[in-house]
Amino acid sequence: MSPAGPPASRVRFGIGLLFGLLVALAGGWALLLGARTQLEDDWTTRRAIVAVNALGSLVGQATDDAGVRKLVSAWQGTHPPGTRVRVIRGTTLEASTDPADTGAKAAPRRLAREEKPLYDQAQRLRAGVDSNREGGAPKAEIEVERQGGARQVAAPLEADGKVTGMVRLLVPAEPSTGGRSPVQAVLLLVFALVLYAVAAWLLPPRTALLATVSTALFCLAAAFFVGGELRALGLAERDGQRALASTVAAEVGRARALTGASAIDGGAWDTDLARKPHGLVTGAGAIDREKGEAQAQRVRRGALRSLLTLAALGLLALVVVGFGGAHRVGRALVTNRQAYAYIAPAIMGTTLLVFFPFLYGIALSFTDSNIYNTNLPLTELWVGLRNYATILGDFSFLRRAADGHWVFNYLNFYWTFLFTVIWTITNVVWGVSFGLLLALVLNTKGLALRPIYRVLLILPWAMPNYITALIWKGMFHRQFGVVNQVLAIFGFEPLSWFDTPFTSYLTALATNGWLSFPFMMVVSLGALQSIPADLYEAARVDGASRWQQFRAITLPSLKPALVPAVILSVVWTFNMFNIIYLVTAGEPGGSTEILITQAYKYAFQRYQYGYAAAYATIIFGILLVYGTIQNRVTRATEAL
Amino acid sequence: MRTLFVLLAAVAGILMPGAAAAQAKLVVWHSYRGGEKSAFEKVVGAFNARPDTKIKVDALAVPFDAFADKISAAVPRGKGPDIFIYAQDRMGGWVEAGNTVEPIDFYVDDALKGRFIPTTVEALTYRGNLYGLPLDYKVIALIHNRKLLKTPPRTTGELVKVAQGLTNRPAGKFGLAWSYGDFYYVASLLNGFGGGVFDKATRPTMNAPENVKALDLLVKWEKAGFMPAEPSSALITSLFNEGKAAMVFSGPWFLGEVASDIDYGVAPLPTIDEAGGQPMRPWMTVEGVFVSAQSQHKDAAFEFAKYVTGAEAGKVMALEGRQSPAAKAVYDDPKVQADPVLSAFRKQVEVAVPMPNVAEMTMMWSPATTALNKVNAGNSPREAMDVAQKALQKDVDALRKKK
Repeated sequence: MSPAGPPASRVRFGIGLLFGLLVALAGGWALLLGARTQLEDDWTTRRAIVAVNALGSLVGQATDDAGVRKLVSAWQGTHPPGTRVRVIRGTTLEASTDPADTGAKAAPRRLAREEKPLYDQAQRLRAGVDSNREGGAPKAEIEVERQGGARQVAAPLEADGKVTGMVRLLVPAEPSTGGRSPVQAVLLLVFALVLYAVAAWLLPPRTALLATVSTALFCLAAAFFVGGELRALGLAERDGQRALASTVAAEVGRARALTGASAIDGGAWDTDLARKPHGLVTGAGAIDREKGEAQAQRVRRGALRSLLTLAALGLLALVVVGFGGAHRVGRALVTNRQAYAYIAPAIMGTTLLVFFPFLYGIALSFTDSNIYNTNLPLTELWVGLRNYATILGDFSFLRRAADGHWVFNYLNFYWTFLFTVIWTITNVVWGVSFGLLLALVLNTKGLALRPIYRVLLILPWAMPNYITALIWKGMFHRQFGVVNQVLAIFGFEPLSWFDTPFTSYLTALATNGWLSFPFMMVVSLGALQSIPADLYEAARVDGASRWQQFRAITLPSLKPALVPAVILSVVWTFNMFNIIYLVTAGEPGGSTEILITQAYKYAFQRYQYGYAAAYATIIFGILLVYGTIQNRVTRATEAL
Repeated sequence: MRTLFVLLAAVAGILMPGAAAAQAKLVVWHSYRGGEKSAFEKVVGAFNARPDTKIKVDALAVPFDAFADKISAAVPRGKGPDIFIYAQDRMGGWVEAGNTVEPIDFYVDDALKGRFIPTTVEALTYRGNLYGLPLDYKVIALIHNRKLLKTPPRTTGELVKVAQGLTNRPAGKFGLAWSYGDFYYVASLLNGFGGGVFDKATRPTMNAPENVKALDLLVKWEKAGFMPAEPSSALITSLFNEGKAAMVFSGPWFLGEVASDIDYGVAPLPTIDEAGGQPMRPWMTVEGVFVSAQSQHKDAAFEFAKYVTGAEAGKVMALEGRQSPAAKAVYDDPKVQADPVLSAFRKQVEVAVPMPNVAEMTMMWSPATTALNKVNAGNSPREAMDVAQKALQKDVDALRKKK
């Protein structure tokens, strides 16, 4: 099976096992370390949010400014010494327990100029509350800054449903619970390797056997590792929940002592950044068992998914190294190192500039990204295939209006697609036939001044196409455009070209036709001139007519040159953004929009980035299908 | 050796604080050209020459086409200027995108706010927060050829009568030429009737009855035949310059294109008889001086913003740059008062409406233009606006939707 002898495969599977386990265990270890730090971090933040919400609700109830200050200093008294409270209303520092705010700087006072960020933060929170009331992507109503283990949190103050200010609270750091030692993972790794060494020494050196043994050992070690770590993670999660509940209970107790009120719902203080309650903790400060368990489950399941992915990668490494794949790749790299060195910059360039944006665009197409939520990570905006379903699943491109007329829905994908196809076909047909005709004319023997004609006919192609587009747009002006003036000479009524889809389409077709025939003409002319003259002579001797000569000699000889030109031209026309955007601008009512301009409008006029990305991905899919089919057809033509 | 060390420390001690505090070097981006540019540069020069300031400002002209996109791309990444000058229409988008414009509410007291025409401050306020100081405003007004028309009409009734009298279609002469295919211009009628495109909570109100009534009036004007068909801005300019259009509704940008041999006057837009004598209320664009959220010298940048939006600078901008400053005190200057153009725009701005600065504005243009084209092609305004409302509502909802 393996190209090298059996003893080599013994070592290979050993190395494969080592690599596989390193990927799975070391990678898993690093991942879980991150996850646990994140978990602890999140719980610290959530406890700080409970505290700031508790403080906010108490300060919000205070009747006057003096009351606020009294309450804040009392609150400070019930909390650990590092706690700092600041209450800001408009440009005034209403109350503060910060040692810096004493003496001349004691509250109440106007905020100093360098304290502008505090004022801006209060305004930002207010704007967040206001826009969350209107709906849409949730904005932060609570801001958290990490200062090592301490948390600086800010929450809005509300009175009668209006935001009146902000409380800022510094929650001092608490001692960390400490990490988990990596001894278990290292032991598992060593143990699996030793077992393999023993087995490889004892067993006959057959590839299949070695593969089975090493895979089994890998799975065993991975299973032990995953099981142990998940349990530890579950415990950490439960500790976090408990600590949160005790924070809530403590805050409820302090609030009772400070205000004398008995009915206090501490559960409502455990919120996310948009101040939506998580619902994990009940009013009195106990954990809702079911929800707590569900959340622990979620955490474990998330970790399990990542760990299994890593294990699969590790197994892949094991198999690749074990069966000699890595060896072969390594040898190829060494043998052809010059070639790889040469293309390395290109690979890096295309990865960065082509593949990354491409993949990012595809990822974006599965989200609900728009101008209001670009601050959120894509995973939180994930909507799966919804964009595609909305685009492709909407077949209502034709409906009956109240007066019985059929009305097209021009914003529908299928209308735009249909229009794009019609647009592409008519343009290419026109470009090829007219270009070919002109080429035939120019190819006439003994034609006087041929170079001049040729230059003149290539000119439209040489001009920047947006200038041409704007000139043509002007020519179709209703009152002053040259087209209508010519029509008027012949006694026709002037037309409003951009008022009906068909005439609007004609303007774009005329413009693009003007731009596209020179290319086809140049291609055909070149091919025509390479047809040997004796073919025609022989045909004439045989008594063939001009038409027969054209059918039997000219067209077949043109084919190798024309087919690639047509393929290119189809792709260009399909994505001919400039002409549509500048000449018709989609008028009337988006009826002459092609797919690419429509995608642009979704992204930059309607700000629906995710939707536009899905649109672009569909365009890519269509062109991919076209390209594949075309490729096959071309290969068939080449074979002829 | 030791002495050298002490010497070095002393030199460093002299140099370092100096380097930190002596000078804040600011960069300001603007898109002015021609007379506006030289007036602005004069103001910047005057600011730099102030004896009591340690701030130096460099003005950099950036082409207008690329301006907004450049700001969106460069500023959040810390590569942009300290200050930039732009109209309010992109502001909402910048605030929502974050890290672009610095809120300056905190610096601004009532006295400073009182310096400006109130609507210009409103234009630069987004969600209750002020983001820039208003530099100047642009509104459309009635521009008329004084050879053809001595006194401009005050009401729409007069306007129709005068315009019809001055129209001679076979000769290509029109009483009134304006871009009534452009929603920006037509909005002056909609606002005059009390309509608009968004309500206070940024919900679309395209098919509000006031808007429909305004478009009905526009249709009536079109049928009366005193306006040219498909009025592009190039067409309007050439008609006016050839003496074939007696009146034009346009803004200060139009005056730069008027031929030198045309004797023109500027007057406020007429009041609308059909709306009970309410004035036409054009959309006003306000150029704000914005402090970049990434600037290292925000205080200094605000100092400069305060200076350029002040009365002194305003006078230079008005008389030499031919702009309409937002500072009220500028218009007390006798030279400015004597200028018929500046005072006409000043009168017009009293009834102008700040163009909405919400990000949703960019979505409005396409359905609104489509509706307007339909109306101009003879369809019913009611239906056209219903369709526009539906389209806009759909787009706005797509942004507001919760996942």
